[in-house]
Amino acid sequence: MTNSAQTIDPALYAAVTDAVRAEARKVLESGAVAAVVGWQAGRRAGTAMPTIVTDPAKAADLIFSPACVNNLALYLTKAKKEVRGKGKIAIVAKGCDLKALVGLMGENQLKREELHIIGVVCAGVQGAAADRSLPLSEATIAGKCRECTVHTPENTDVTVGTLTELPHFTPTESAELARLEAMTPAERWSFWKEHFSRCIRCYACRQVCPFCYCEQCLCDRNRPQAVETTPRPAGNMAWHIVRAMHLAGRCAGCAECERACPMDIPLNLLNRKMARELKELYGHEAGFKPKEKGPLAEYREDDDQSFIK
Amino acid sequence: MSRIGVFVCHCGENISRTVDVEKVAAEAARIPGVAYATDYKYMCSDPGQGLLKKAVAEHKLDGIVVAACSPRMHEKTFRNAAKSAGLNPFLCEMANIREHCSWVHEDREEATEKASAIVEMMVARVKKDRKLVPITVPVTKRALVIGGGIAGIQAALDIADAGHRVVLVEREPSIGGHMAQLSETFPTLDCSQCIMTPKMVDVANHPNITLHTYSEIEAVEGYIGNFQITVRKKARSVIEEKCTGCGVCSAKCPQKKIPNTFDKNLGFRPAIYVPFPQAVPNTPVIDREHCTRFINGKCGVCQKVCGPGAIDYEQEDRLIVEPVGAIVVATGFELYSISEKPKGSPIKGYGEFGHGTIPDVIDGLTFERLASASGPTGGKIIRPSDGKEPKQVVFVQCVGSRAREKGISYCSKICCMYTAKHTMLYKHKVHDGQAYVFFMDARTPGKSYDEFWRRAIEEEEAVYIRGMVSRLYQKGDKVVVMGSDVHVGVQVEIEADLVVLATAVQPRAGADTLAQKLGISYDSYHFYSEAHAKLKPVECATAGIYLAGACQGPKDIPDTVSQASAAAAKVMTLFARDELEREPIVAKVNERNCVACLYCKKVCPYGAVEEKEIRDRQGNLIRVVAYVNPGVCGGCGTCQASCPSKSVELDGYTDEQIMAMIETL
Repeated sequence: MTNSAQTIDPALYAAVTDAVRAEARKVLESGAVAAVVGWQAGRRAGTAMPTIVTDPAKAADLIFSPACVNNLALYLTKAKKEVRGKGKIAIVAKGCDLKALVGLMGENQLKREELHIIGVVCAGVQGAAADRSLPLSEATIAGKCRECTVHTPENTDVTVGTLTELPHFTPTESAELARLEAMTPAERWSFWKEHFSRCIRCYACRQVCPFCYCEQCLCDRNRPQAVETTPRPAGNMAWHIVRAMHLAGRCAGCAECERACPMDIPLNLLNRKMARELKELYGHEAGFKPKEKGPLAEYREDDDQSFIK
Repeated sequence: MSRIGVFVCHCGENISRTVDVEKVAAEAARIPGVAYATDYKYMCSDPGQGLLKKAVAEHKLDGIVVAACSPRMHEKTFRNAAKSAGLNPFLCEMANIREHCSWVHEDREEATEKASAIVEMMVARVKKDRKLVPITVPVTKRALVIGGGIAGIQAALDIADAGHRVVLVEREPSIGGHMAQLSETFPTLDCSQCIMTPKMVDVANHPNITLHTYSEIEAVEGYIGNFQITVRKKARSVIEEKCTGCGVCSAKCPQKKIPNTFDKNLGFRPAIYVPFPQAVPNTPVIDREHCTRFINGKCGVCQKVCGPGAIDYEQEDRLIVEPVGAIVVATGFELYSISEKPKGSPIKGYGEFGHGTIPDVIDGLTFERLASASGPTGGKIIRPSDGKEPKQVVFVQCVGSRAREKGISYCSKICCMYTAKHTMLYKHKVHDGQAYVFFMDARTPGKSYDEFWRRAIEEEEAVYIRGMVSRLYQKGDKVVVMGSDVHVGVQVEIEADLVVLATAVQPRAGADTLAQKLGISYDSYHFYSEAHAKLKPVECATAGIYLAGACQGPKDIPDTVSQASAAAAKVMTLFARDELEREPIVAKVNERNCVACLYCKKVCPYGAVEEKEIRDRQGNLIRVVAYVNPGVCGGCGTCQASCPSKSVELDGYTDEQIMAMIETL
């Protein structure tokens, strides 16, 4: 039963903030890690932004709030030269961020022993259009958090916070997925065509994705050019298909791409659809264990072949 | 601008019948970068190759497209021709307008258009071809022979006699294979064991042969010239170095009622045993499944009586790694059993023959054991049910073989001859007996083979009935054989004392698993495939692996021995050189672009991808990238297809080339 008046108690985040600060100070002071990747308060009230703390005195700057939307795993891949060169790194990770970390370990990008993972118990974060001054509620919570199954991250070095009973939120992602799957192939094609036609090829989705860590993206190459670079329908479609295919079996659903998209393209819906296909065909769910091989890198005789028509 | 020569082949009429070759050449001449285009009746002939060489010089060609057959057929021919004309051979490519065009189309106009398109694509590709230099790899001059039957023995002896080391791996406790089980051999009726055992002893005594019996292939890694074979030496429970082969253990073993599989279960053997008296090595093995010691720990007699103390109940399987340069696969065959539907076999069962429940219905190999002087009956032909001498014996050919409705359409090849032999052996031992043979037709091509079959009928009085058997059933102590005689056009019913079925020759169970380990191909029956049915009959498509004997298809002893020697000759050819040249079509990593996600490593079927650390002069790690070992890379391109950042490419098949080809369309 939905109760839109019900909100999540901000005290949960305050307690987590205190514990994160204490842990960060401890590991920095002891020299166990060289830096802590976390969030600090943004310039505008009620916002947060990623930060890298190396000075134990600055540990007090760290916060955890419903505004801590960013997936910090990004800062261990894209900016790896700057951050990873420093030595062992601590990272503050929500359950959903942790899935990305696990995936990156499986792809040889991170080593577990080089990380100190401070898991935070998370009740949810704000949606892109939420009023930052309000506590989390049906009106303000992000879509991905409504169906979250990883409020408490596991296999961390330390997990801080205690989960309280959460209000029930209306699932939006699965409703959207059901709507998408109910469409005929022609309807689905025109649905995506319409969305992708609005793409301005700013590549914010790529830059914010922890899994898009190639130093030169295949879509930026021009000899040979695989994907047209100007924002025209054919090139847009090609880019989004490449993105979706490259993330299939890897994307764990942090939905940062969708949050970062200035054109409001439902990118995470596409990612969720791919993830569902992978689960149904190969029983694979990304982000739980660093697997030897992903389902798309492995051939087994009992693989489902029914999709070959 | 490139100066490419295009040579369009008629292939006699194979191509020109459906494709207007003159037009294809004329169209090709108009492609930018093509300096010369012509057509010729047989490009692969001497004058054809001469034409190519002359054109390279006259027109200063820097690339060649030969529009002809499949590159599998003649790529080497034309690359060699290009090389002798002074061109890098890898700047010569083939446009397949035969298999991919003329052979599969009928409409001349459309086929011509398609041929032109194929040529244009290949021109685009050649323009971006790079000069490549063959890769040289060292050759380990040591061969592995899998299977110790007559095929494996012959191959091992030939290679060893040439002065190379051989590792012979046999699954059973002794080498010898099926030939050791046979009584006498067609067409000369010489005793199988008499001609076989000296060769077995030669293997045991040969200084160049390392013999691993009771062993199996666990894993195969590497490539031609450089294989790493892991052999699983199964726990024999007997220390080979200590055992003298005195046989006291077998004599004293209290467990004596285990069906003897070597004798096709006609007799019994103890739990510690050698399969047959002439076994090589003459070292027993404990059948742990039946040994009392292993069942409940309450025996240990063999250990007590063993003088040299060779019995080791604690022995475990051992894994031995053997480096070899070439492999001969000689895993042989087994006979189809009517009593059960073999797992994975395409053959349907034989319910109408009683599914193996009638005791006096046996197969050909069981008859061999009955007729063999060293067999369980000492060569006396008696029936399994009551030990009586059978006076009427019916032989049925083509049981399983040539029976599409049963699942096998091939001919097992050896049965016509061995059934004729069986009728003779029977007549020699039971003078008042009568042999009947139901046959479809007698297939006796081979030196002195037809004469042998005629002798069975004309001198040894075997009655041959052309027709099939529809049913076998027990009636009293007789087996009723219901069949037809198509010459006379009547139904025949014979009350036989013994029925011998010539059941189909099949590959060994598990042949497919071994093939997967070796990376060689097999047909739907699991017989191993040769690289070319006529011109490469002993080579596998996988370089460095050769076939001998019935694992490739049904074969008799003379054919098997010939093929084994042929396989040995191929191994010796390989070992004649210290280094081996490999095609340089291998994947290369763009180290500036690679982010070491190692997806390529996950998908590489050859295990050719490794992690590589790039360091500066001070030894600081700059970055980690993937590295493809060119000696191991098979050039399949799977890494290229899977690389998310397109940082690995196959020489000769780069993305740039493939895109250029697509763009011509």
